[in-house]
Amino acid sequence: MLRRRTLIAAAGATALATPAFAQNFPRKAVQMIVAFPAGGNTDIGARILASIAEKDLGQPITVVNKGGAGGQIGFTEGARARPDGYTVTFINLPSVSTIVLDPERKAAFKMDSFVPVVNQVLDPGVVWVKADSPYKTFGDLLDAARKAPGKISACTTGILSDDHLAILMIDDAAKVDFRIVHFEGSAQQLTGVMGGHVDCAFDNVGGIVKRVKSGELRALVVTDDVRSKFLPDVPTTKELGFPSVISSSTRGIAVPKGTPADAIKVLETAFLKAINNPEHIKKMDEQGLALKPMVGAEYAKYYADSHAAATKYTEWALKQR
Amino acid sequence: MESLGYLMAGLGAALSFNNLLFAFAGCVLGTLIGVLPGLGPAAGTAILIPLTFNLDATGAIIMLCAIYYGAMYGGTITSVLINVPGEAASVVTCIDGYQMAKQGRAGSALAIAAIGSFVGGIVATILLVVVAAPLASLALKFGPAEFFALMVAGLCLVVGLAGRNILAALLMTALGLLLSLIGMDPVRGAPRFTFGVEELYDGIGFVPVVMGLFGVGELLLAAEARQTHLIQADLKKWYPTRDEWRRSSGAIGRGTVIGFVLGLIPGVGAIVPTFMAYVLEKRVSKNPERFGKGAIEGVASAETANNAYANGSMVPLLALGVPSSPTIAVLMGAFIVNGLTPGPFLFQEKPELVWTVIASFFVGNVLLLILNLPLVGLWARLLKIPFAYLCTGVLIFCIIGAYGLKQSLFDVWVMLGFGVLGYVLRKLDFPIAPAILALILGPMMEKSLRTTLEISGGSFAIFLDRPLALALLAVPLIVLAAIVVRPRAFANLRQTDIE
Amino acid sequence: MSRNARRGWLVATATMMAICVFAIWQSLLLSLTDRLGPGPGFFSFWLSLLGVLFAGLLILDVWRKPVIENDETLFPRGESAFRVLIIIGAVAGATLLMGWVGFELAMLVFIAVLTFALGERRWYAIGLFAIAGSFGVYYVFTRWLDVLLPPGPWAA
Repeated sequence: MLRRRTLIAAAGATALATPAFAQNFPRKAVQMIVAFPAGGNTDIGARILASIAEKDLGQPITVVNKGGAGGQIGFTEGARARPDGYTVTFINLPSVSTIVLDPERKAAFKMDSFVPVVNQVLDPGVVWVKADSPYKTFGDLLDAARKAPGKISACTTGILSDDHLAILMIDDAAKVDFRIVHFEGSAQQLTGVMGGHVDCAFDNVGGIVKRVKSGELRALVVTDDVRSKFLPDVPTTKELGFPSVISSSTRGIAVPKGTPADAIKVLETAFLKAINNPEHIKKMDEQGLALKPMVGAEYAKYYADSHAAATKYTEWALKQR
Repeated sequence: MESLGYLMAGLGAALSFNNLLFAFAGCVLGTLIGVLPGLGPAAGTAILIPLTFNLDATGAIIMLCAIYYGAMYGGTITSVLINVPGEAASVVTCIDGYQMAKQGRAGSALAIAAIGSFVGGIVATILLVVVAAPLASLALKFGPAEFFALMVAGLCLVVGLAGRNILAALLMTALGLLLSLIGMDPVRGAPRFTFGVEELYDGIGFVPVVMGLFGVGELLLAAEARQTHLIQADLKKWYPTRDEWRRSSGAIGRGTVIGFVLGLIPGVGAIVPTFMAYVLEKRVSKNPERFGKGAIEGVASAETANNAYANGSMVPLLALGVPSSPTIAVLMGAFIVNGLTPGPFLFQEKPELVWTVIASFFVGNVLLLILNLPLVGLWARLLKIPFAYLCTGVLIFCIIGAYGLKQSLFDVWVMLGFGVLGYVLRKLDFPIAPAILALILGPMMEKSLRTTLEISGGSFAIFLDRPLALALLAVPLIVLAAIVVRPRAFANLRQTDIE
Repeated sequence: MSRNARRGWLVATATMMAICVFAIWQSLLLSLTDRLGPGPGFFSFWLSLLGVLFAGLLILDVWRKPVIENDETLFPRGESAFRVLIIIGAVAGATLLMGWVGFELAMLVFIAVLTFALGERRWYAIGLFAIAGSFGVYYVFTRWLDVLLPPGPWAA
């Protein structure tokens, strides 16, 4: 399969380089790889984007879920795809970084295997507890953690996820020691905290907005430098004195290295248009997913910066093994 | 009591022409998805979500739920007809269902499956109405420690009852567990036993393994026997005999309870209740040796538990907003997109909508029965196609099924490999069922033990603090040890074999 | 049990034991413990140890059972063997082909070969079935059901 691809890619590359390219691309359906299971936070955002972008692109966008291994399976597939613009990957930062940085994961891709095209979502981290929890503010939680080092438990949605890194950042900045419990996905976090098995959860805003509004959960702090428009009453880490603790999960579109610039341009234009489409904005608002469109140099810089930021805490996390 | 009022109103709404249409379409689509290879219920449902963007919220949700249990039943059809489980939970149905088909009783098997599913679904929905909220919060007490204990208990049950050769069953369980450990480990996320093969990072796919062991293996056996048709026996009547009814009624009752109760616990997965119901049925049966050779109670208990579970798992979804499985997670995504936020306040916020959806569960179960019963005869007749065609057809089916999940040719090779393995093991009469259960439960067991230890900070003493977990853990282990050490006392159990 | 069955069991169990021994070795390469207790190799180590134990006991058990001398063979000969092998071979061949020329062509060959080998002799029937099963199925699954199947070289 690989050999055939290379041959055809070589033949195709010459064709693709012609100036008339923009009119000829895309000529058939584009595949979007989502590295997480169907129905989750990432997937919903991806599908909403795909359904709107297809109109701007002029060709159907088929969303393919390749979940597993914390995103590694899907990202590997996306990095290895033929760089002709017909396969895009919905990437999550810092997941891509942490996978690359963990030597035991033996990742088959590197940061430069991907060319970031357009960013869609920037979902800030949030710390929440259940509604009847004794911790009314983030300060309460930290106090308890200081009094009982290693006893107050905090759960994440996965090893080396942005949640995990956020806990480490807090440990560092607030000089506390949380007992870290790794679940797989936000659904398990829900049962874990609501069932009283874990004290608090580090998650992202998008997944819990509705539950905070309905009073099931209490959000203690958002790990960002500005308040989330979906949770206006929740203080930020910056306000509470931890300006260095900024953590979020960013999701956007990337293509494999070597994709021709013309194709990237077409994709960029179409997806950006879709992101700014009022219908898209409305649907994402309903999900509590904050949009942060980024393209070109801005996104490339963010991609690199995010990796640099992740490196420090990933190394720390690895040392804890 | 006001719930009843809402329910009546909901029923009225659910029976509106539009919603009936959606429910019907959902049942049809769902059954098709369950029957066709390459489309697991999760993927199939996910594909259909965009369709529902254009429908009104109620209709969309009704349709998606109908697809969900339609898919469950579709999986049964292939289990009975060609010994290929449509999805994980249908594995147990293969055991007796296919044997029944070989005896020409495919019709009875499918019919009792439909009826058992119907009863299980309706009762589970009634219980949902009555006890959703209080039970749901109770189920939350079930944490990772209890989960681990439940998985261990499940495994012990199956092994303890693979009568004839307990050592072989134990060996197969160990191997199944080892097989399940392939992939990224939950401790460090490092690949384990993958030997550099990327496709194994996520573990060996359950579907290709089972399709191979059961489906391909069966075909190889039939080919060897030079059968001109897959089923040599004459086709009997498509409905169950009075005797079969009698035997099944108890099974259906027990299956419903097990399915519903386990459905309350988020994340258990459909296979645990189906296996447990089957094993329980065998345990209470006066003739346990019939199991594995076409005992209709086997099919009845498994199918009822399956559907009771499917409906029961709506409880954590609706009451707590916690999805029990990937498919339900997809459903939940669809709910949310359409404005229904599952959770404890759901019933307060939008009672009409919720009760309409619940009412549609009733309607959906009825529709499924009406839809599938008449077709049972037709399905059974498919088995009379000449072997050359049926075998080739089933193989195409399996190839698509193995490939379609992850677009991976590797999975097709896995399927073939396990097909040959299944053929050899069947010839030798090795018990395969314990390995299958181990394969599924293995990762869950390891992860929940790992999470338990993370919560307790590394101390095993957490089990001593949690009586339920301790009991679930200790009792089956003690029973198992007793069986192994003093086999004569359990001679009657050993006469039988789960193949 | 019959002599051949006994032999079969012994071979199979010995193979399983070998797999378990291999697993023990591999588990030792991963660490057995870590900060919180069981490491990645912990379970596989003890499981494979148990596996070796069970396999050993099973071999002993089978060895001691009385042997029934009969001609009962375990594996088929002649035409039965041919049928089994052709199925395995055809699936293997089809899978290999699929990676090269795509689903449709591979299935075309697969169906033609297998239906012929399993007894069908009417060329038109084989032909029709082959076309429906390859191109037809491909169309239905990729167009209507959105299930991606290996495309041929022309589908880029």
